[in-house]
Amino acid sequence: MKKMLSMFRFRAAVTAAKLAIVILRLFRSGGTSLPGKLAQKLYPQILDHLSGLFRITMVTGTNGKTTTSRIAASMMEQKRLTMISNKSGANLASGITTTLISALTLSSRPRVSHALLETDEAAFRKLAPRLKPETVIVTNFFRDQLDRFGELHATVEYVREGISKIPEAVLVLNADDSLCVSLGRNVPNRVIYFGMGEGVYPETGASINTDAAFCIQCNSRYEYTSVTFAHLGHFSCPSCGYERPHTHVECSGILSYDNLGSTIEISGPDMRITVKLALPGLYNIYNALAGASFGLALGLDGNKITTALSGFEFGFGRMETIQVQDRELKMVLVKNPTGFNQVLRYLLTQEQPCVIAFAINDRLADGTDISWLWDVDFEVLTLMDDRVRSFYVSGVRAEDMAVRLKYAGISPDRIILEKDYHRLIDGALKKTGARETCYILPTYTAMLDIRKLLKKRFGLKEFWQ
Amino acid sequence: MYELTICHLYPDLLNLYGDRGNIIALTKRCEWRGIRVRKRPVSLNDTLDTEDFDILFIGGGQDYEQSIIQDDLLKGKREAIREAVEAGRVILAVCGGLQLLGRYYRTREGKDIECIGAVDLWTHGGQERLIGNLVFECEFLKSDCFDGLVTGFENHSGKTWLGPGVKPLGRVLKGFGLNGEDGYEGAVYRNTYCTYTHGSLLPKNPALADHLIALALKNKYADFESLEPLDDSIEQAARDTIIKRLTGTRF
Ligand SMILES: [Zn+2]
Repeated sequence: MKKMLSMFRFRAAVTAAKLAIVILRLFRSGGTSLPGKLAQKLYPQILDHLSGLFRITMVTGTNGKTTTSRIAASMMEQKRLTMISNKSGANLASGITTTLISALTLSSRPRVSHALLETDEAAFRKLAPRLKPETVIVTNFFRDQLDRFGELHATVEYVREGISKIPEAVLVLNADDSLCVSLGRNVPNRVIYFGMGEGVYPETGASINTDAAFCIQCNSRYEYTSVTFAHLGHFSCPSCGYERPHTHVECSGILSYDNLGSTIEISGPDMRITVKLALPGLYNIYNALAGASFGLALGLDGNKITTALSGFEFGFGRMETIQVQDRELKMVLVKNPTGFNQVLRYLLTQEQPCVIAFAINDRLADGTDISWLWDVDFEVLTLMDDRVRSFYVSGVRAEDMAVRLKYAGISPDRIILEKDYHRLIDGALKKTGARETCYILPTYTAMLDIRKLLKKRFGLKEFWQ
Repeated sequence: MYELTICHLYPDLLNLYGDRGNIIALTKRCEWRGIRVRKRPVSLNDTLDTEDFDILFIGGGQDYEQSIIQDDLLKGKREAIREAVEAGRVILAVCGGLQLLGRYYRTREGKDIECIGAVDLWTHGGQERLIGNLVFECEFLKSDCFDGLVTGFENHSGKTWLGPGVKPLGRVLKGFGLNGEDGYEGAVYRNTYCTYTHGSLLPKNPALADHLIALALKNKYADFESLEPLDDSIEQAARDTIIKRLTGTRF
């Protein structure tokens, strides 16, 4: 009787949420959390019930969740698995509930076998035991919106707590991140490590603002034999011996690297493949390695993994390109210092003249504290100052961004403040020369607004479709 | 040519929330006026000498990092910092730095963590974090052409109280400040300035940055009179926008 009652509540909640999804779509609103919230209200255990219907993979970590999820999805396609994923960054309980409900038929049966769920780090603690994933991918840990999460180490502990409840899950972890590696220590789980091979990326000296310079086990300062960026690299602790583990999947060579992408060699058990990645930036090599590790866990061979990685293009907002006559608009989301530094480093590889527009908001989803702009190395922009036709600043905190650029060494008369997005796009495109690129670097909510405008003017696809 | 040495204490550990923006602001505002700046990072196991700097900056860290420096700070650097405070050296301490300069920090569990004891203030760990943009009014910055308002962002759970010899830095118009109760923000003792306003405090409040630079030059050079003004229209715009948003005041 009790079982029947809960089945009834489950179906009622699913039906109500489905109705809400349809209505929201009708009004062309991208609301992705409301239907899930409604379903949770009607049936609080809905997520536990839903999770039993799918084989689940969770992706968490500070940066690269979305891109890694999309690469993992393309691995699943190679395996011909049917799956649903929460593409639009709906990565809290309500959004995940909406996603899973949308994969049910009207009679509440799953239409797909697998679910790939990008999960917020702080929400992971509570979600992991409820979702009971088969696989968990953790990309990395960097400072991100401390006003929301508290402290970086607290974030790592949230994820650790979640993992302690799912001993059966396979963990895919970044071997170059000492914080990430600590999750794989002293746990019964099977662990797959990925990382950059020794000396593959010649970088000197970690930046002073590293998030994890000291041993998470014993507080001594790490020694590094090589560093890729931020605190990622071949670390070891001279006091307690905690060190980067051997990897199962490794980038064993970077054959080419420019602002369009890279050609890399990936080595793994019985595998040595050369892959052309259409994703620029070092951080995307890590995302590709995470994806390849997941492919191996699925049982894919080198050929299939190569195909999955080669056919991959950018995800929502991470780097979108729009052709406007003979000019190009590229939009890249920026949300924390490490990610922003990677985007700046990518811009440095740009040889053509260009226009750069920053759109900085301080709404809840962006992080209400914008002090993090001072942890970004905007000073490197002076290296390409002669190639940048103009710097635009926009968004709610445009003035703060202008101050940051001024103190980074950009002359104030090269900085144009424009808060109206229509005029921003018009002005920036006008300054952009023929066959040149205008880069737009927005925070999350600024990206949503700019995207809405670009959609209206240039016919971009809705992101939830 | 004037020259100032700015010492950043534990730059690799106490560097939360864009703290280095304050160093960048001091440096640039000196350089734009032809004042040479030497930067001196001092971290674990490095010796700190009062004679080594004209301006000392102490930022905030996460609990984990503050626990790492605890020993090094109390055993190795406490005396130098106390001497510097008493000698009237210019010091700026932000957030965790403010708490460290005080007498003690009492955790929520009631455990007292000993601090440097250079400034008569103390902090009690609170239940909730005091987070948000804040605006406060500094009497000492007021002039015919300046309203004395300073703005920034705070994020702390500690609530701080001041002893009788220590003056608050300012009166809170919007936000929490020292403890969210008495309406004051920050502390001033001799030439030591303490605040919960982190990150872009000095870049966005050039009047305060210049006040500290001028104090340091006055300490060092008998012939120093005043700083030449700079074009701060971009900084003022950033400051005014957020103050207007928070207080509804028109400029
Ligand atoms: Zn250790």
